Amino acid sequence: MSNDVVFDAEALRAEVRDKYREVAVHPHGEFHFHTGRPLAARLGYDPSIVDALPDRAVESFAGVANPFSLRRLQPGELVVDVGSGAGFDSFVAAAQVGPKGRVVGVDMTTEMLAKSRATAELLALDHVEFCDGLAERLPVADGWADVVISNGVFNLCADKRAVFDEAWRVLRPGGVLQFADIANGNPVPPEAIAQIDLWTG
Amino acid sequence: MLTDVGFTDATVGPALDTFGGAHGELNARAFDVNGHAFLAHKPLCAG
Repeated sequence: MSNDVVFDAEALRAEVRDKYREVAVHPHGEFHFHTGRPLAARLGYDPSIVDALPDRAVESFAGVANPFSLRRLQPGELVVDVGSGAGFDSFVAAAQVGPKGRVVGVDMTTEMLAKSRATAELLALDHVEFCDGLAERLPVADGWADVVISNGVFNLCADKRAVFDEAWRVLRPGGVLQFADIANGNPVPPEAIAQIDLWTG
Repeated sequence: MLTDVGFTDATVGPALDTFGGAHGELNARAFDVNGHAFLAHKPLCAG
């Protein structure tokens, strides 16, 4: 989507928050996208990791591709998950980096944060934490991360340049940005871009 | 945009039919929307 079309960025953020609140609370509801274990299988996630996770860690997963498909995380890496939702990708990351690594998931939706934190506690994962924050203003120190991951989030942000600048800021020199998102092969007309409900469904 | 920010060695993974069979399939097909994995590096020399 282009940044050149005028629309209400705050309204977009509110719409996104409402949509993903629903995914957190009613993960088996009807959405325009797939969710949960069927989606993880469709996107090629490692079944040995997914199968080991409880349903509550997977059921609200609503990613668009697999951010681990081009590079597996290395043991000990420090990872930021931008738009961590109910925590599925953070839990996959936690399994890959192991107990000497650390994963910080950041999300703006209260219900998603509550769910991911409760799941981390259930799994006794003390190298994973979830923080309230926006993709454009991550609550992470400059240069802290070895890796920034994300899944299906950047396309929902109005100011994509700000999001990529923020990923750059939190990465150390030599760090890696590995994310999943959608791309459109056909141009989207300006009137469609200005239609907020098309962004989220 | 990745390279505008300063990232290098950007790689794009193959297209995935993310929305096939979902309620959003019609819109996805209309704009040829697919899911991709992306990989890019912050250079070691970056400040």
